[in-house]
Amino acid sequence: MATSTAPIPRRLSISPRTGGWLGFLGLALLAGLTAAILVFARGLILTNLSNGVPWGLWITIDLSAIALGAGAFTLSAVVYLFGLKRLQPIVRLAVFVGFIGYTTALLTLVMDIGRPDRFWHPWVYWNIHSVLWEITWCITIYLAILIVEFLPVIVETKFFDRYPKFRTLAHRIHGAAPVLAVLGLLISLLHQSSLGATYGILRSRPIWFKPSMPIMFIISAVAVGPAVTMGVAFVIEWIRRKATVPHDILRLIARASGLALLLYAYIKFWDLAAVTYYGRTPGSDQAFSILSSFTPYGFGFWVGEIVIGILLPVLFFLVPRFNKRPGYLVLGAFLGMVGVIFNRWNVTVSGLVVPLDYAPGVDLTAVLPKPYIPNLTEWAVGLGVLGYALTMLTLGVRFLPLFRPSDETRH
Amino acid sequence: MSQQTPGKKRKQKVKLDLTRRDFLTLAATAAGSAVAAQALTTGPLSPFSGLKQAQLTGEEIGGHTTGRHQWGMVVNLDTCIGCEYCQRACSATNDVAPDVPWNIVEEQQSASGRRYFFTRPCLHCQHAPCVEVCPVQATFVRDDGVVVMDYDRCIGCRYCMVACPYDARRFNWGKREDVNAFVPTWGIAEVERRPRGVVEKCTFCIHRIDAGLANGLVPGVDPEATPACVNICPVEARVFGDLKDPESRVAKLIENSPTFRLREELGTRPSVYYIPPKEGV
Repeated sequence: MATSTAPIPRRLSISPRTGGWLGFLGLALLAGLTAAILVFARGLILTNLSNGVPWGLWITIDLSAIALGAGAFTLSAVVYLFGLKRLQPIVRLAVFVGFIGYTTALLTLVMDIGRPDRFWHPWVYWNIHSVLWEITWCITIYLAILIVEFLPVIVETKFFDRYPKFRTLAHRIHGAAPVLAVLGLLISLLHQSSLGATYGILRSRPIWFKPSMPIMFIISAVAVGPAVTMGVAFVIEWIRRKATVPHDILRLIARASGLALLLYAYIKFWDLAAVTYYGRTPGSDQAFSILSSFTPYGFGFWVGEIVIGILLPVLFFLVPRFNKRPGYLVLGAFLGMVGVIFNRWNVTVSGLVVPLDYAPGVDLTAVLPKPYIPNLTEWAVGLGVLGYALTMLTLGVRFLPLFRPSDETRH
Repeated sequence: MSQQTPGKKRKQKVKLDLTRRDFLTLAATAAGSAVAAQALTTGPLSPFSGLKQAQLTGEEIGGHTTGRHQWGMVVNLDTCIGCEYCQRACSATNDVAPDVPWNIVEEQQSASGRRYFFTRPCLHCQHAPCVEVCPVQATFVRDDGVVVMDYDRCIGCRYCMVACPYDARRFNWGKREDVNAFVPTWGIAEVERRPRGVVEKCTFCIHRIDAGLANGLVPGVDPEATPACVNICPVEARVFGDLKDPESRVAKLIENSPTFRLREELGTRPSVYYIPPKEGV
């Protein structure tokens, strides 16, 4: 205890609030780690996934985390490419949130593949025709871009006072920010939409096979990703009781997000109209009737995706009465996030629950779809990666200069 | 600074701090993003708009396999009696877990109400969706048309299972420790069990085909070189052979009988042909 080197008085003063938070994070990480070790030891047999529904909760987490990390590329591009310099103060936070999102996705992905020891195979054995191969590459490259974009923040920490050379080097690399923003924009547009194409190109699946899938994925990501960053900025401000990012910037992001959500709603409307009404096929008809009779698909779609995910956030982001109040903006960002998660879940699980119609004369409704409900192991891993994300955020807020010095009262 | 006063001056007009320039920039961002996404995913710049599948499947465009043979099967639904021997022999020979068979046999009813049995191995598509989507080329079409797995390369992402239109793929969710009840009654395990975490599927018993050809045997004629499911069928509802050889039994059956392939409209070009029940499916 009584080491004499560092005379910092506030060292052990942890408020009950902080203690409770750290306790929660510890428990979440512990639950996730326990489940992860079990899964590594015994395999995916511990999950409720099956040959009929081979993708489930973890894939939903992957897709959602990547979509919610989209604030990084959107805001970087807006600042560095489209010259909206006003938004500069939020870029660091956006990149950090993006980094957390992508690493969360990678963590979950490593859990989800059957052979985690072969995670590097897509880098060595190429199938350039595979959307998933392209996504793996894009995510790898983009994560590297995020790290380089974030280097200046890391070298500004106290630790690097001792290594000024690293500091100048990192800042020099950061000079390439506009180039990185271009590259990041291209690569993100590619893989964010390709995640939708993962489903959209599967011609044997009646409710997935449509070109609108990648479009809806990219637009929802661009709409909600920045809003999540905005919400995080407000929450950090409430907790630290210190200004983070100027409120006019946050409101601007909220409004842009609301407009993008309207565009998303428009495309979703036409997608729905085309698939279920104007351009319906026996396959999609049958799929939807199965979904509505055996799963809560309708609830997830109308309540989760449309009301929670689109209508309420649009209301909170665009109506002046609401968007002047940070509380509504944070609520809107949270609901938008929930909406994206609902959407990714609905896309993944619903498409799989509908049985494949490959044998002529087979009555599909006679083959009861096997319902999929994630089990405790899957939820525990989910809680663990959530714990990881929140731990990273907590550490970042505590130790990293996420907000430009000019934005807060210094020392 | 200027904001931060919610509630009090509600009547005050909200200052729209979004300038025209900002708005246009944002709109251009959104529109540009959409256009780029469209172009890159489904549009002209898409990496999968013109899949050059030939490189991957060993097939020339509009042609056949590049090898000398193309192994195929004819399943006669009219003669099948639903005994499930094919399923058991397959599960024994390939040491497949009995509860997740590669071969399935399902009872069906034809439109006229008569029951018949539908059976399915892997269809060994020449334009296989599973092969297209595999990120690491762990599954591929051999030059003799057989779709096989490289169990040492598979990462277990299961995209192939999601993509297969025929539900022909199985995942090893855990380490197999069961005793295969079909061995030795229905055959002896001729291949190794697959490790945990990889996808597996029907192979047309390539170990028999390859060894048979090396010993001068003819797959589809000599039982040692023919898939186990074909050999054991008591009513010859499954016939195996070289689709490229006009003298083979499969080629003759296809020439002389009404046949169909499953979901031909998907363009997967399966190597398995079906002869429908006489009164139709």
